[in-house]
Amino acid sequence: MASIQSHVTGALVQLDAAEAEILRHLFGEMKELLDNEAAIQDDVIDRLFPRAYAEADDADAFSELVGQELKDGKLGAIAAVLSLLGGGGPVETELPRSEIDRWLTALTDLRLALGTRLEVTEEKMSAELDPADPQAGGMALLHWLGWMQEMFINAITEVSDDGRT
Amino acid sequence: MRTDFVGPVAMPVSAAPTRVLVTLLSMETGVAPGRIEEDITDDAVEADRPWLVIVWNDPVNLMSYVTWVFQKLFGYSLEKATRLMLEVHHDGKSVVSSGSREKAELDCFRLHGHGLWATLTKSD
Repeated sequence: MASIQSHVTGALVQLDAAEAEILRHLFGEMKELLDNEAAIQDDVIDRLFPRAYAEADDADAFSELVGQELKDGKLGAIAAVLSLLGGGGPVETELPRSEIDRWLTALTDLRLALGTRLEVTEEKMSAELDPADPQAGGMALLHWLGWMQEMFINAITEVSDDGRT
Repeated sequence: MRTDFVGPVAMPVSAAPTRVLVTLLSMETGVAPGRIEEDITDDAVEADRPWLVIVWNDPVNLMSYVTWVFQKLFGYSLEKATRLMLEVHHDGKSVVSSGSREKAELDCFRLHGHGLWATLTKSD
């Protein structure tokens, strides 16, 4: 099972082969989604690139100004994660602090995309999974990614609280 | 927001997807998240800091993550970041920063970069 522990330089990340594989898959899809973002008009893209203003002209101008940079930032984080995950097999590595931040934002975008796709609500997020529900697999994935994210946050919070591990 | 996890969560082996996001992409989805049409004001805001950055609640982001983002981006103490996070969680939104339009836009951009649902409005 995945383990992310506080480490002197950041975090020690251990993923078994199946976990690493599923992450490669999901982040590969995120890359594909963002690469094609301009051609996609849907809820996921709306959530990843929120409209900053209620006023349409202001919102459009803001998107025009920062949209590309926002997208580049998200793709950059995904690229960093994919590079660390490598081509196959289990993963065991020490992540420096700056890389953890990229993992956290990449995991966030992935969870937002998945959560939006599953149309989650607060109630749905806290409900028991029903194996008969066709979305149960997706929900389980969402929770698993959330748990992994929580481990990263715990790892860096420990470092910054103590100044060391 | 998603409350924090209390124990380990196993990877859902049965869910190991082939192209879950792209597959799900073709699913019928509900109503698109609407524009923010609400008029937001905050009487606590100083007259010389006219632009407000508002973060809205969402069901996906973790409470611990949102707190961490507020600390990281704005340099807030853990106490202040937690209070703002709880405001978002319980009230549905919170004004997390304010200032000139340029500053507010930068803050909003950085929040979007961290996956938070943020909007800007002029306080009057």
